[in-house]
Amino acid sequence: MSLYLSDVCSPMFLKTRRTFLKSTFCTTALIVLPKSELFGAVPILETIALVQEDLFPSIRKLDINSSSYLSLILHHSRVADDEKEFLRNGVQWLNEEAVFHYKHPYIKLSSSQRQNILQIISKQRWGDNWIYTMLTYIVEATLSDPIYGANRDGAGWKWLEHIPGLPQPKEPYL
Amino acid sequence: MIYDICIIGSGVGGAPIAYELSNAGFNVVVLEKGKDYKEEDFNKDELAVCRREIFTPPLKEEQHVINERDADGSIMRYEGSKYNWNFWNGSMVGGSSNLMSGFFHRMKPNDFKLKSVYGEIDGANVVDWPISYEDLEPYYAEVEKIVGVSGKIVKHRFLEPRSTPDFPYPALAVNGITKYFDEACKSLAYESIPTPRAILPLNALGRQGCSYSNFCGSYGCATGAKGSARAALLQRCSATIITEAFVHRLESNDKKVTKAHYYDKNRISHSVDAKIFVVAAQAIESSRLLLNSKNEFFPNGLANNSGQVGKNLIFSAGGVGSGRFTFESLSKQKELMQTGLFFNRSLQDWYEYEENDKKYKGGTIDFLFEHANIISRATKEFYDENGELIWGEKLSAKIHKNLTTSRVLTFEVFNDWLPSDYCFVSVDEKIKDKFDMPVGAINLYGHPHDIKVGTHLANKAVKVLQEMGASDIYMSISSSPPPNLVAGGCRFGMDPKTSVLDANCKAHELQNLYVTDASFMPTGGSVPYTWTIYANSFRVAKHLVSRLNALNNY
Repeated sequence: MSLYLSDVCSPMFLKTRRTFLKSTFCTTALIVLPKSELFGAVPILETIALVQEDLFPSIRKLDINSSSYLSLILHHSRVADDEKEFLRNGVQWLNEEAVFHYKHPYIKLSSSQRQNILQIISKQRWGDNWIYTMLTYIVEATLSDPIYGANRDGAGWKWLEHIPGLPQPKEPYL
Repeated sequence: MIYDICIIGSGVGGAPIAYELSNAGFNVVVLEKGKDYKEEDFNKDELAVCRREIFTPPLKEEQHVINERDADGSIMRYEGSKYNWNFWNGSMVGGSSNLMSGFFHRMKPNDFKLKSVYGEIDGANVVDWPISYEDLEPYYAEVEKIVGVSGKIVKHRFLEPRSTPDFPYPALAVNGITKYFDEACKSLAYESIPTPRAILPLNALGRQGCSYSNFCGSYGCATGAKGSARAALLQRCSATIITEAFVHRLESNDKKVTKAHYYDKNRISHSVDAKIFVVAAQAIESSRLLLNSKNEFFPNGLANNSGQVGKNLIFSAGGVGSGRFTFESLSKQKELMQTGLFFNRSLQDWYEYEENDKKYKGGTIDFLFEHANIISRATKEFYDENGELIWGEKLSAKIHKNLTTSRVLTFEVFNDWLPSDYCFVSVDEKIKDKFDMPVGAINLYGHPHDIKVGTHLANKAVKVLQEMGASDIYMSISSSPPPNLVAGGCRFGMDPKTSVLDANCKAHELQNLYVTDASFMPTGGSVPYTWTIYANSFRVAKHLVSRLNALNNY
């Protein structure tokens, strides 16, 4: 359920909204609006970092720089614009669900409340897709070549006893 | 300057022509859309190569449109950039052969006469080839020697006739677990065959042998062991190769192609003159180029007054399956988890089979370890046994357990994708690429017969996995077209009304235009195409040497 879109559906508005999201993502904050009321500013990177730890706690143990990796993905020319927009919109919709159920944005919720929100959105088509997409990029960060900076010292590879193929890259592509 | 021969595309369809003609002293130019890479440029960066796909064009700049036809006749249109769906395989010198796994099987004699041997099938345009296995056999043998094919011949019911007793290079080393596969096959009365590979097991032909890096398919080979068109042929001949040259139009009069027009990386237009033009840009792109080269003599596209260009596009039908192995015996488990060595086993027991007194053309099953790509293996664990998405500690534990204590053996089924009126290449009327050329439209339809045969074969593969004690056995046979196993569109034949090319792969309608990638194939056999494309290209090269000698002596 998207509170933000519940009352407003004109194409122009959607376009404006997308432009807004694109221009602000990772530079400032999203505004979570329950119906028409200004609720508060939500720090985006904090939300992403917390969602990633909730989805894959191993990244903390392994010291994986997963949120910075996602930031790279959101600016990469080889990632489709639709996918980037979906990732951004998902953060918004996640917060809308959090506000709807608990009156607070995601990062203000307890661990069990956050898991409940993840369970709720996973039952919705967008939510299932969004969690899957987030997990995919978390795993990319965790198991990519250390040259990309996310899988520091190959900690993710060591965790899975993975022997990398040789030769390894000398330069990062991303 | 007028070249003797201009080749568009440097993959397995074009490279043998460049190799043979330049070594015979002719002036050869190759126009290749992609960049040139050497062995030292290749590495095993999963993110770059397999997930961001650096060897294929960005879809924002160059895409395909896919029109998928359902059984009820309805058509769904997909713009590739929106659905991340494309049929690119490798834009670089040597083409997608740089990235192949190199599973090399010859077609069988009956593959060349599918209609005569197995009869017509409703809704399919099955025809016999205008050449026989015997015509192509010397060139299969030539590829074994020049490109380098390794393996070991074992006698079996469908072993094709050979002019040599065995492969010129010994089989690659295999994982110890293969002996359990062989035992399982023996108990089932199946004939286990070592899979031939276009990979050198030792230093030869001026190339290094395989390093058993555990990452082969999808990656460029850093040793040169893999028999790519680049490593095996183009690096060993004097043909001029112009890279980042996208040929967008062929110019012609009513009898001959006169120029190939191409854009360089800065989108500056150039042209090349030649006596003979060979198109080998990959099956879809070759048809697209001809269709985009309309002129007053060929208003429907070059060599297309018959209306046959782009028609009868085929893929490899079949599908995939897998089973997971965890052994209780420590020594067996240690063998299983040993990385680097190949599995390399195939079954062809059902290349032809009977069911309810009817003879069917079957196919090949290749068995191989699941690809070592760690990211893709981990992403396969996102769902639990009930199909529910999982995360958190539950997901971490599942990934860790499955990736550290078990190994997945996969199989790939190859059977004929029947050609039909509904599966063809056209050009899209709305979408253009960055060069302002209409993009290729792939019109997809899979014949129900293909699924029936594929399922028959997959069930046999499943029996082997069961016999070996696998868990989590899975199979999927569908009409999904594998983008790296595409052929047809300019098929060869004796009748100009129903084919684009003659038996030498020369266009019926033009005196100096040849098409030598997989486009020429009217049917694909039940094996991966690469060896056959190589062999046919060597065959056409021999014809072209004779023809150019005659032309130059005239």
